[in-house]
Amino acid sequence: MNEWLGPGLAVMSASLVGFAAVSFLGPGRHPASKGGIPLLGTILVATSLVALVTVVQTGPQTLFLPLHDQTGFSLRLDYISTLLFVLVGFVGTIVLNFSRTYLDGESRQGAFLGWMSLTLGSVILLVLSNSLLLLALAWIATSLFLHRLLLFYPGRPRARQAAMKKFLFARMGDVVLLGGTICLFYQTGTTDITAINSIARQADGSLLLTGSAILLAAAAILKSAQFPFHGWLVEVMEAPTPVSALLHAGVINAGGFLLIRFSDVMIGSPGVLAVLVLIGGFTALFASIVMLTQPAVKTSLAWSTIAQMGFMILQCGLALFSLALLHILAHSLYKAHAFLSSGSAVEKVAQTRRPGSVAIPDLMAIARSFLVAIAIYLGIGAAFGFEHKSIQAIALGAILIFGVAYLVAQGFADKAPRTLTFYTVLFSVGAALGYFFLQRGIEALLKQDLPATPAPGPLEWALIILALASFGMVAFAQASFPLWSAHPAFAGLRVHLANGFYVNALMDRLVAGNRRSRTTPTTPQN
Amino acid sequence: MLQMIQTPFTEKKMIERAREQAIKAIPPLWPLTNSVAVNPFLGQSHLPFSDAAAMLARISGNRLTLSRTWYLDKINSGHITDQDLKAAMQEPAHAGSAVTRSELARDTSAFKANEHMRATLASLATKQSGLGWNSLIEDRLGAWASAYFDEGQALWPMTAGKGAWASWLSWAQHDLTPEVFGLKNFAKRVQALPEDPDVYICQARAALQIPSAHLGDYFHQLLLGLGGWSQLARYQLWQAELDERDDHTLRDLLAIRLVWDVALYEQYESHIGGKWSAIWEADSHSDTLPEGLREDLVLHSAFEQSKIRRLDRVLRSPQRRKRETETLVQAVFCIDVRSEVFRRALERVSGRIETRGFAGFFGIPLELQGFASDIKENRLPVLLKPSVRASARPVKGARDDKSERYRGRALRAWGRFRMAAVSSFAFVESSGPIYAWRLARDGLAGAKKKPVKNHPLQLDPAIDTASRVNMAKSILTAMSMTEGFAPIVLLVGHGAKVTNNPHASALHCGACGGHAGDVNVRLLAQILNDPVVRSGLVAHDILIPDATLFLGALHTTTSDEIEIFDDAILPSHHTSVAQLKTWLTDAGRLARRERSNTLPRANRGKGIIKRTRDWAETRPEWGLANCGAFIAAPRERTRDRNLSGTAFLHEYDWKKDPEFATLELILTAPVVVASWISLQYFGSVVAPELFGSGNKLLHNVVGGIGVLEGNGGQLRTGLPYQSVHDGEKYVHEPTRLAVCIEAPCEAIAGILEKHEKVRDLFDNAWLRLFTLNENGGLAYEYVGNLGWRTFERSGSEDQLEAVAT
Repeated sequence: MNEWLGPGLAVMSASLVGFAAVSFLGPGRHPASKGGIPLLGTILVATSLVALVTVVQTGPQTLFLPLHDQTGFSLRLDYISTLLFVLVGFVGTIVLNFSRTYLDGESRQGAFLGWMSLTLGSVILLVLSNSLLLLALAWIATSLFLHRLLLFYPGRPRARQAAMKKFLFARMGDVVLLGGTICLFYQTGTTDITAINSIARQADGSLLLTGSAILLAAAAILKSAQFPFHGWLVEVMEAPTPVSALLHAGVINAGGFLLIRFSDVMIGSPGVLAVLVLIGGFTALFASIVMLTQPAVKTSLAWSTIAQMGFMILQCGLALFSLALLHILAHSLYKAHAFLSSGSAVEKVAQTRRPGSVAIPDLMAIARSFLVAIAIYLGIGAAFGFEHKSIQAIALGAILIFGVAYLVAQGFADKAPRTLTFYTVLFSVGAALGYFFLQRGIEALLKQDLPATPAPGPLEWALIILALASFGMVAFAQASFPLWSAHPAFAGLRVHLANGFYVNALMDRLVAGNRRSRTTPTTPQN
Repeated sequence: MLQMIQTPFTEKKMIERAREQAIKAIPPLWPLTNSVAVNPFLGQSHLPFSDAAAMLARISGNRLTLSRTWYLDKINSGHITDQDLKAAMQEPAHAGSAVTRSELARDTSAFKANEHMRATLASLATKQSGLGWNSLIEDRLGAWASAYFDEGQALWPMTAGKGAWASWLSWAQHDLTPEVFGLKNFAKRVQALPEDPDVYICQARAALQIPSAHLGDYFHQLLLGLGGWSQLARYQLWQAELDERDDHTLRDLLAIRLVWDVALYEQYESHIGGKWSAIWEADSHSDTLPEGLREDLVLHSAFEQSKIRRLDRVLRSPQRRKRETETLVQAVFCIDVRSEVFRRALERVSGRIETRGFAGFFGIPLELQGFASDIKENRLPVLLKPSVRASARPVKGARDDKSERYRGRALRAWGRFRMAAVSSFAFVESSGPIYAWRLARDGLAGAKKKPVKNHPLQLDPAIDTASRVNMAKSILTAMSMTEGFAPIVLLVGHGAKVTNNPHASALHCGACGGHAGDVNVRLLAQILNDPVVRSGLVAHDILIPDATLFLGALHTTTSDEIEIFDDAILPSHHTSVAQLKTWLTDAGRLARRERSNTLPRANRGKGIIKRTRDWAETRPEWGLANCGAFIAAPRERTRDRNLSGTAFLHEYDWKKDPEFATLELILTAPVVVASWISLQYFGSVVAPELFGSGNKLLHNVVGGIGVLEGNGGQLRTGLPYQSVHDGEKYVHEPTRLAVCIEAPCEAIAGILEKHEKVRDLFDNAWLRLFTLNENGGLAYEYVGNLGWRTFERSGSEDQLEAVAT
């Protein structure tokens, strides 16, 4: 496979650029380029698979680009980059194919496909980059191309408002990322990311990369819509559905990718990781509770993404980088599908109403379900073996099993029949098994690419306990939810949560000053 | 301070009247689970079309015609001829208006509806302050209403069981957004509001000092400005009234909307107070139409005249002679315009098939209790109350009701696990990768095929024989089908198969309440095949031969495939049914081929079946787009004449209807339903921001019941842009429905006299009415006030163009 890789990447790059060029030459209705989508998709998926197979066969490697001597530009092919490459290539293909039919008849379908192709190309370049400058360029390009997609309907004030916030945070992100890369270059003397990581790994505390780590962490927080920079993400349903799918399944992950890519740098700064745990953990809990209150499907999905990104940042903060990568992969696949199929929400809601009311578990049932969930965890964990696992990974597993307890609890409600109990326990065991298998697999794959999770010190122990306690509490609140949520005392809390604690309203006031603005409809008016 | 003011009794009455006037002016909106077309001008049918156009411009800034350029293009391309313009100017609605040909041709004098819109208080405040108050109100009302009307999207629902006003009070007194935005003390103000919204409406009226003559109009303007939310509330009232209950949601919405006006008024009174009172001094409902509107209306009428001229020509086009063969199959279809294409194709395939048109619920006012479901589905026109109840039984050898419910509940538990706090992380980490497969399947191969299970049906409670016989008798009579039964009578309901489409129910059968028509036809076939019923029918002079078999069938309109339900196929009919199936397959191919002329990417009909499973498809079919005529006559008048899927066809033979009871039924039920459909299309095209649901690419399903466009604001109603437009041109060219009936003028007039609401539709030019000739073509034209005149066609029109056969 190795010998196919260079030509493959060349063909793919040429195809993406060529496709974009044809699209922009016929930017309007029924663009000629849409006929090329199946071919482009095949090339994307095939090239990414070639890259992955190459890594499987010959291990991680660095690919020097033409003009490497002058620019230092090279690509890194390891499991991190190639798994993400396959993900982006695959999701990108599905999204492009979706757009071919979905946007049929749109007066700017050609331009849409062009920007989408360029966005995909720059995300792929981002994940493959092995030099600081290339990474920064791809990072910025992704954001600028995406901006064009988010403003596909520039006449919509809400679209402009969201894009403006996004643009502001993205430029802040660009500045800190550039700062971080410049820091790294000055401290390590190289622009080669692989080299930087190995320098960081061997530094033994003599070289302090904390400044760089802070800037990288800041860039990740800004990019992956962490609190309080999350607001724009829940507002960008102002662009056609495929844009949301691509954004939520591809672009938004860039922050997490950055932390994974520089994991050796990050792991040397426990204080920065601790901050990531706090911000990620808070965002995860906050956004996942806000999500519960959202009655519109795409808005709910967007809050869910913020929460999932928070969880991913939390994993990075706990130095569980391989799990963070698993999270990116799994979440992207789920979320791309969820957005593209969001038109089915009418049917899905109707489906939940048919079998009758939901059985409500009492406190005893919830307690039992937590015990059952923990038993499942211990049982399966024992079968897989806990001894090779870091404390952080075990704690994270416990957090996830709190979530499974909610599934069990639904089958333990007094009014729930035995059949239902059986099903929910079965699902729970299945979910736990699925998690263990995936976790095992990804850890085995990434063992060489990523640093091992260090043994926790006092700070890490404190964070682990904090995380366990807070996620446990929310999980318990979630399971006992029907018992307290209708109480008048919580009516106010629900309002504040549904409004996302007004962060967006405040940002709007700061950024846009609440000015009124004109609407130009997206469809011909009369 | 406000609370201290006592509202005098007469004033209270006046305000109540204004409130009721506004509430009645709002059309209802059915949730997307069972949506049906609604006439958006339902509350205006007592007004002449032209007055309604002026009124809607005043309160919403919308037009009721297309742009002047659109009509001028039609003139330039020869679609609208001089003769059409002349005919339009002679219409009763335009009589006496001195409109000249040259005025019509000027682009610049077009009616500018948005310039005629009267400002609301919020728009004055918006203009004054430069802050987006209008969008804030839209956004905040939407935030509360989407949670209030949510049917189960959010896992943490808003506390149910309160009325809208109480619910909003408890929401808005905590919502700090208006304060963040710059509206001082809004939450505090809400805390001090009275519990009774009627009391508040009186207070608000006093504070805003709206003159009583304009009050109802202003209330209407405010409610209309809430878009779908007020229409959804109107739907709740509609349902309540069917059940003889009351519902106050819409009144509550009015009170809520007034809170914003009063708050803004008090904040900006010193700046906008003068402008506000000036509005009311200037606004006198004048009787003359605003400038340019008359001309636009004449142009629109001329366009309709051109369509009528073509309709008349088609109805007089030569027919192939009917082959003298014995009829094997009588197929009864829904009157839906989509049936027209299929019926023509089917009759073309074989001379041994006759087709008829009848309302798609087949006269059974059904409430269905679905299998393993708590939900009751009203499978009948929304104007009626269900009186027949049926339930679906388990399929032989499959899960029974209980275990199917358990399965549903287990899947729901998994769904909640996916969506809940904390557990959503566990879901992603354990099951996310499964979606790689689903993405590949849905994105490349097409969505999973859902096996359709035809559950056995049971009338529940059972209906006694006498009632079943009566039901059978009245249905057959209404179908004009009391003799001459063929060996097979196929009863064809219809439904649409689509994927990932929030508007799926809008493509189903409107007469079945936005559901497919399968259950109704199966039940009717059951009843009519019952020997007990048949012998009971003899007493009513209806003799159904033993050799006649009634079969239910479902026409899938997206793919033009017809499935025959095999509940009752007798061995004696196996060969005939097999023959019928080949005819149906052939006809489906022809129908798809014809539809592919207008459907994009349809590849001469070959691409059509596949798109039912395409999750990215925004135009799975054109639905009832371009519906323009309703024809009640024997099939012979329309047989073999290409109406291009634009006409509702109802079987009717006035000679068999001595008392005109069937005619009365047709005019008061199917015609009204067809008018709702046609006016929904009309409104969605001419006023898309007000009565259309916008861009499908941005749809965001809310509460499982409706769509938002983008991330918030108003609930959208009506048809999406993609359902009426192919990207280059309107696929639905709006016209007021031409109702054409073969019956004596006096009989029709007699019925109109009895039914004021139906008469309003014709007298006020919301619909057009013609009678048909026995020899084909239009005979008389209704001119309002129960009067008729001979339908005029120019000399050249009498020369029939040769139509290829």
